[in-house]
Amino acid sequence: MHQEVPVTQLTRREISQQDYERIHTSTEFAELRKRFRGFAFPMTVVFLVWYLLYVLMSAYATGFMSTKVLGNINVGLIFGLLQFLSTFVITAMYVRHSNKNTDPLADDLREQLEGKTPDESGTTEKGTTRA
Amino acid sequence: MDSPFALPAIVLVTVVTLAIGAYGVRFARTTSDFLVASRTVSPGWNASAISGEYLSAASFLGVAGLVMKYGADVLWYPVGFTAGYLAMLLYVAAPLRRSGAFTLPDFAEARLGSRRLRLLCAGFVVLIGWLYLVPQLQGAGLTLGTVTGAPYWLGAIVVGVVVTANVATGGMRSITFVQAFQYWLKLTALAVPAFFLLLVWRAGGTDSLTAAEVPVFPTETMVDIQVDVSVNVVEPVSLVADGVIDGTAVDGPLSWAPGRHDIAQGAVLTFPAGAPVPHADQLDTLDNATWGTPLSTGGGHPEFPLFATYSLILATFLGTMGLPHVLVRFYTNPDGRAARRTTLLVLGLLGVFYLVPTVYGALGRLYTPQLLLTGQTDAAVLLLPGAAIGGVGGQLLGALVAAGAFAAFLSTSSGLLVSVAGVLSTDVVGRGSVAAFRRAAAVAGIVPLGLALQVVSLDVSVVVGLAFAVAASTFCPLLVLGIWWRGLTDAGAAAGLLAGGLLSTGAVLITVLGGARGGWLGVLLAQPAALTVPVAFLVMVVVSRLTAARVPVDVGRIMVVLHAPESLGVHRRAG
Repeated sequence: MHQEVPVTQLTRREISQQDYERIHTSTEFAELRKRFRGFAFPMTVVFLVWYLLYVLMSAYATGFMSTKVLGNINVGLIFGLLQFLSTFVITAMYVRHSNKNTDPLADDLREQLEGKTPDESGTTEKGTTRA
Repeated sequence: MDSPFALPAIVLVTVVTLAIGAYGVRFARTTSDFLVASRTVSPGWNASAISGEYLSAASFLGVAGLVMKYGADVLWYPVGFTAGYLAMLLYVAAPLRRSGAFTLPDFAEARLGSRRLRLLCAGFVVLIGWLYLVPQLQGAGLTLGTVTGAPYWLGAIVVGVVVTANVATGGMRSITFVQAFQYWLKLTALAVPAFFLLLVWRAGGTDSLTAAEVPVFPTETMVDIQVDVSVNVVEPVSLVADGVIDGTAVDGPLSWAPGRHDIAQGAVLTFPAGAPVPHADQLDTLDNATWGTPLSTGGGHPEFPLFATYSLILATFLGTMGLPHVLVRFYTNPDGRAARRTTLLVLGLLGVFYLVPTVYGALGRLYTPQLLLTGQTDAAVLLLPGAAIGGVGGQLLGALVAAGAFAAFLSTSSGLLVSVAGVLSTDVVGRGSVAAFRRAAAVAGIVPLGLALQVVSLDVSVVVGLAFAVAASTFCPLLVLGIWWRGLTDAGAAAGLLAGGLLSTGAVLITVLGGARGGWLGVLLAQPAALTVPVAFLVMVVVSRLTAARVPVDVGRIMVVLHAPESLGVHRRAG
């Protein structure tokens, strides 16, 4: 790793003006970005609200949060551990969303832009290995 | 403690780790390991490797120690350590993969076309790497000291030198297989003793955790005082002391009235079974009910728990993406879909792992409450098996935990040192020759060692939290704005990095060197992220606006590369 300064794709790879125009102006690309945002932004709000709510409840609903469930194991402690679960669930939802909604659209877009020619050297979402 | 098996176990883990590293290098010498791995590694292996490299001494020892001291509030450390991956996955991982930049300085130069900005980023990579290395060495000193009785500095130096020499001679690289092995070793080393501890706890009928009382000594307990400590006595307690107490030499029975008592290094205190545990001065004496209530301690900032907690959440959520040894691992995924699956698995593996230190922290209050007296709760994980189980079984489990702890800081510190030395040798001194890398590794190892000798009294997880705060105040704004905002300029990025970086680093240094503790200033210095992250974002945006003429001319194309799906083929590698 250390002996070579990696050259990045941003500098090495030239996208032709034509490619850029085609992608940039295609409705599919716009739709793709919209679908990403449509999921990621609201989801960020949801998880931030959920975390912040926990903290706020700890501060102002101490009675509820210190309700004993089992011995000294109280609601607050259980909610705290549930944060792990909620993080995992949100990530799982994002993975599902991407696989179901954005990946197929990306594949469509690619077919449309490149015709049916197989991409010999590129990385594809379908698991083609790199040349 | 004093398990005869611990030292051999530690030596064994060290030798095996080094041997696997040396063997693995034969495969990986010619090509970049990450590129090699990218073709062959399945998400399962990859997720284990990411988790293995990520779970450091802070996670292995520190989380349990903090839970023992402060209770429910510090669950935010592990939750944040985990959730940071979600923030990274949603906003940074995929575009950064598409950019092809392997490191943060690469990304900065590619996105904004500035060589000077690249150098600045390199500086912060080194700084964050160092901050993150400190608690690893600290954990090493603590572990060796606990299991062999060696002084703290000796353990830190021995391990610092071993890891540095090893990295400098090209020994241990971030080899996927080694790191994956480390995750399972760490989980086993922590979970197996935890299982037996829980059995003993249930069988023993010790249920103090379910009663609202202050921790007491379960049996007659002898406490060796290794560093001067002041304790706060809440209920009167009688004990037998041998040493200098409150400035006078004592050898015999003693009874302490409520109030503050100073104990000099070298004293030996013996408490009878059932005596309430006097707590170290900086700790509040919590009964078990308060301990289990969120926001009662603010993780050591009881005056401003809300601010301290929000700040910690911000630092850990946003800091993960800026850690040098985390990002690069995402390149070992063959495609975006695999990267997402890997992240999901990482979250699962980390979540499972972090449940275990929580158990240790809770049981520590029952079986090793003397750590609340000395304040060295980071040792709870190491001492619990011997204290609660005893006999040969306890010694063997104790050795297993000690070996796991060593695995934790060996893997993390080697990965970090490779990243830091790599950046130092390519960007700061020399042009990346092997000789330059060796010199860089030596420098990279010595600086955190010096710092580690300064921070004995800080908890390892707290120091790691500071590294996250600096990462969140520097690279998070750079990455998020760089990826999502066309208007970013090199001048704006540099100004934001400097503002967030200098403020957070200043706060960290003051905290590490033992500066302000109490009041608003104390909490701001110990948990700076809630202030420094917004400042960094704001400065970056404002200065970019003011220097709008410097927006790169090809920003449109760069944005397409960052955001167009990989399957479009615009990311096809040339040649």
